[in-house]
Amino acid sequence: MGGLSLRGLSKSYGSLDIMRDLSLEIADGEFAVFLGPSGCGKSTLLRMVAGLEAPTSGEIHLGNRRIDAIAPGERGVAMVFQNYALYPHMTVKQNMAFGLRNVGTPRDEIASKIAIAAKMLEIAHLLDRKPGQLSGGQRQRVAIGRAIVKQPEVFLFDEPLSNLDAALRSRTRIELARLHQRVQSTMIFVTHDQVEAMTMATRIVVMNHGRIEQVGAPMEIYRKPSTRFVASFIGSPSMNFLPVVQAGESDGRALVRLADGTVVATEILSASVPRSGEMTLGVRAEHVTPGSGTAARVDVVERLGERTLVYAIVDDGSTIVYDEPGDVAPAIGEHVRLSLDPANVMLFDAAGLAYHAEPRA
Amino acid sequence: MKIRTPSTATGDRLILLAVVLLAAIWIAPIVWVVGLSFKPNEVLMRTTGGLVSPPFTLKNYTDILNSSAVFGWMLNSAIVAIGQMTLTLILASLTGYGFARTNFPGKRPLFLLTLVALAVPEQAIIVPLHTMFATLDLHNTYIALITPRLAFPFGVLLMTQYFRAISPEIEEAALLDNASRLRIFIFIVLPLSVPAQATLGIYTFLHAWNDYFWPLVSATRPEMYTLTVGLASMQTNFAQTEGLGFLMAQAVFAGLPVLVLYLFFQRHIVAAVAGAPTR
Ligand SMILES: Nc1ncnc2c1ncn2[C@@H]1O[C@H](COP(=O)(O)OP(=O)(O)O)[C@@H](O)[C@H]1O
Ligand SMILES: [Mg+2]
Repeated sequence: MGGLSLRGLSKSYGSLDIMRDLSLEIADGEFAVFLGPSGCGKSTLLRMVAGLEAPTSGEIHLGNRRIDAIAPGERGVAMVFQNYALYPHMTVKQNMAFGLRNVGTPRDEIASKIAIAAKMLEIAHLLDRKPGQLSGGQRQRVAIGRAIVKQPEVFLFDEPLSNLDAALRSRTRIELARLHQRVQSTMIFVTHDQVEAMTMATRIVVMNHGRIEQVGAPMEIYRKPSTRFVASFIGSPSMNFLPVVQAGESDGRALVRLADGTVVATEILSASVPRSGEMTLGVRAEHVTPGSGTAARVDVVERLGERTLVYAIVDDGSTIVYDEPGDVAPAIGEHVRLSLDPANVMLFDAAGLAYHAEPRA
Repeated sequence: MKIRTPSTATGDRLILLAVVLLAAIWIAPIVWVVGLSFKPNEVLMRTTGGLVSPPFTLKNYTDILNSSAVFGWMLNSAIVAIGQMTLTLILASLTGYGFARTNFPGKRPLFLLTLVALAVPEQAIIVPLHTMFATLDLHNTYIALITPRLAFPFGVLLMTQYFRAISPEIEEAALLDNASRLRIFIFIVLPLSVPAQATLGIYTFLHAWNDYFWPLVSATRPEMYTLTVGLASMQTNFAQTEGLGFLMAQAVFAGLPVLVLYLFFQRHIVAAVAGAPTR
């Protein structure tokens, strides 16, 4: 047992660099979620860990073994593929037994391992069926079962929920979190869905263009995104971004001016913010309150039940989304005034780097 | 699920009608051949009409069975056809898998060469083949009858295409399940390619069974004749119609094993033609 260590991993296809010098430590027993848009290299990374793809350079260590040059089957990893990749001509039982048979596990031991996993995943009644006779959700469980029976040190999941319908997806999220509690193995889960990342991860690794943008606990990533990319990728609705210019400081904290002239106070240390260059203010819907402040016109009202989102258009044409605190939403076309919570606005410089509020001593 | 509307039902019926009609046209000469095979030769000398009217006879068939050589020829045909089928399947599968899933230097030129080989007609190489087997002193052996056809580009291409269509993820899953290349080939790839194997196997078998040209060239001793060559040798002169019923009986006789084969593998043949994998 042990953690997974990626050291300076690079991957190119010919002259096309997919990944450059990626390093990361994943502790034993962690549920690490790699989150990033489609095409950012998540699958490539997983496949390198699994041994299905060779890194162009760099090393992969699992515990105190270097595994990047050994055969996939001998790495102690199991993978659940996006399309499950079950063996279509084998029954569920044979699917789960195949990996164990290949290493000469005794018959009765195979049977008992399958029985335990089948019970855990509630697929005991499906053992004699073939994949073609299963629903998507059932196939998914079988794919997970096939991984579990091997008792791997690391589970690799490549967007395993993307083929499920919404209800099943949220149920499976909970079950995977529970499974992680039970087996205590290291899990690496790859997805482009920030909800999956937020709900299951003990740690989120946000990726973009084959690079790591940020690594952190889910709430840390949500509250303190280190780049504008992360800020826009995490959270629903997406964070509001408004162009601003600097307007001096008050008590050492930066002041910025919105396009309509409204000055917004922040809790960001003005000394930390670059003096010049374009800035963007970021603020989440729940930190915008109607009442006083910058003028806006209501465009769309979105009732979600537990919260109501109002999309309002400000002077320069950009849209701000905010949480309507009351039950009665404003009418479309109505004029509102919006204030931004100084403790929770953040600034991004032209390069997309984030500046966060500093709590007062 | 397609929703059936009255108009598609009518369309289906029209198509069915057309298919039945085509099948009837197709089967007419075969029925004729079978019918003639039960008629006495003397009657056929006078007229080949009146299929359904007596007299009938089984003499044409007993004549075939009484010629003691027929069963030997049949055995030869079976050995050649089964041997050719088995070896072609093995070779085409291995080669196809190599082309579909592995990388090695010279793969592309080799594949192109295989494609080019598709265009080489049998007649073009019959003389060099004959010379080669004569030099090796292998004529009148099973080796000579079987081996020249084993290099079968169509089979290689068929298997290559079929293997390519199998999701690579399934094989990758097997790789992660600690299976060696050979185990993956035997336990995953081969079972998944059964429909293609069946198509290729049946095709090769039929081709070998019906083959006439090469066995005629290579097998010169009667005990090495295949059924086609043997039956032909019993007809002294194609032009004379005096043994017409006998001739027809020979055709039916030679076709029977093929019919049996079809009955056995009908499901696979249909599935392969329809492009749907059987479960
Ligand atoms: N075999 C390959 N050859 C060339 N480019 C590839 C290959 N596999 C993946 N890529 C490219 O690598 C990038 C990352 O792919 P992938 O890891 O599948 O992304 P993700 O899983 O995050 O959607 C993509 O731009 C993709 O086009
Ligand atoms: Mg992917």
